[in-house]
Amino acid sequence: MLDQTVYLCRRVLRNIRQSPVLCSAAIGTVAVALTILTFFALIVVNVQLLASHWSEDIQVVAYLDNAPQPTRLKEWRKLIEDMPEVARVTYVDSEEAMRRFSTRLGPDSDLLEGFDAEILPASLEISFKAEHRSRKAAEAVVARLKQNPDFSEFSYGQDWLERFESFLDMLRIGGGVLGVFLLFAALFIVGNTIKLTLYARRDELEIMSLVGATSLFIKTPFLLEGALHGAMGALIALGGSFALFQIFLQRGLASLLLVSGGGQVVFLAWHQQLLLIATGIILGLIGSILSLRKFVRI
Amino acid sequence: MIQLYNVCKSYQKDSSSALHNLNLKIPKGDFVYITGPSGAGKSTLLKLLYCAEKPNRGQILVNGQNITRMGSRHIPYLRRRTGIVFQDFKLLENRTLFENVAFPLEIQGKKRYEISNKVYQTLKHVGLHGKLHKYPLQLSGGEQQRVAIARALVIDPLILLADEPTGNLDIDVTLDIFDLFKGANARGTTVLLATHNREMIRRFPRRVIALDQGKLVEDFTP
Ligand SMILES: Nc1ncnc2c1ncn2[C@@H]1O[C@H](COP(=O)(O)OP(=O)(O)OP(=O)(O)O)[C@@H](O)[C@H]1O
Ligand SMILES: [Mg+2]
Repeated sequence: MLDQTVYLCRRVLRNIRQSPVLCSAAIGTVAVALTILTFFALIVVNVQLLASHWSEDIQVVAYLDNAPQPTRLKEWRKLIEDMPEVARVTYVDSEEAMRRFSTRLGPDSDLLEGFDAEILPASLEISFKAEHRSRKAAEAVVARLKQNPDFSEFSYGQDWLERFESFLDMLRIGGGVLGVFLLFAALFIVGNTIKLTLYARRDELEIMSLVGATSLFIKTPFLLEGALHGAMGALIALGGSFALFQIFLQRGLASLLLVSGGGQVVFLAWHQQLLLIATGIILGLIGSILSLRKFVRI
Repeated sequence: MIQLYNVCKSYQKDSSSALHNLNLKIPKGDFVYITGPSGAGKSTLLKLLYCAEKPNRGQILVNGQNITRMGSRHIPYLRRRTGIVFQDFKLLENRTLFENVAFPLEIQGKKRYEISNKVYQTLKHVGLHGKLHKYPLQLSGGEQQRVAIARALVIDPLILLADEPTGNLDIDVTLDIFDLFKGANARGTTVLLATHNREMIRRFPRRVIALDQGKLVEDFTP
């Protein structure tokens, strides 16, 4: 068993030594394809993170004409809180509204001096459960509240969030299409590279089979070689995309995040890194299986 | 050891057949020449015996096993008991003599020390033990032929199939090589030797199977 393993490793190494150019070509292709893919995935992941960060404060504000009686208020709160989409209802009375307004104005807050708090309407701030943070849910809630004439006006701003989300969808679809395309391209090139190495060694393959090698015995080193190419390509892609991430993404996205005030730019988590390497290995394996099928017939 | 029943083989559908309705029985330990003009079907017959080709019709039994009904999974195991010397040697040019001869044993998963012992013995037997680490292209045609024979013999085959093993070698080399086949036969291996070489048959008369255009025209045992 140990003997066989050593022998197998020697065969793999010999194959690689015999065609270093082809090997590097295969590894390079996997590396380039996976780097581009990872780079795209990093953009999507980070922008998505950003979006979820922003959508946390999607909410509906219902303005009240008059400050309500505490009992009415309690009734309304219960009514709204019982809606399935709603996570929390906060009552903001006129004083609180004024206080917030003046903090928002900061150094200019003395402009408000002399104004009565009553000029600002009281309101109910309705925030949503995570799974309902969307325009649709907000509209549904507003439609139900509109039946009550006590609510004079609603604001659920952040229309741009919707547009942003559809942009994100586009990014995701575009990235997915590009990714599938790149993976197929890599598969094709890896397959053909292995086909070339098989072609270069067709005599050896023929002789092996003629002196009684089983098809598994003939194929195993090539499968291992394919997997090795894939793994090395993926490792290079990991390094490459980390470098790209450091140079471009981190700064670019960080400035975007700063504007929105929060969050952190992230690289692939360790399980995503493992997934990347697994993708490389699977790519190499499939590439060699496909080309071996044509070459080793027995 | 080898039995053929009504074996037909044609390479293309409507081309004339390379072998036509062939019936043969070759007992264990026999030494058989297969002769005939070029294109008679000698190589085809040998290819059928090591399953490089399948017959269109008929049955072939090797060592009691019907190889026409055998699944392709079993072909490697048939070949491990069959030594083959090819018309064009089929040596690996980027491997040394030693590695070439060790190849069939490595494939069978033999132990390292067993392999080196056996390979050395066999190369010594064919008189090439001084050139273990040379490459095939550094050898003469006759020496390459002997390497090919060593590779066929190193597995102690039940059957030795040799296709024109003395093709264009001079008579002295031919006789040397011939001794190797006789030696293998003396140790119990059934030998099938496809050849044009009348001189060899004259000097060492054995059963002769003559083919012409795929048909058996003579089966003569002296
Ligand atoms: N791979 C092949 N494809 C098509 N036809 C073939 C193939 N191999 C052999 N033939 C045909 O089969 C017939 C027998 O060929 P074979 O090689 O068995 O002859 P042979 O007796 O070995 O001849 P030689 O003495 O020249 O080696 C020939 O007519 C040849 O053209
Ligand atoms: Mg021939």
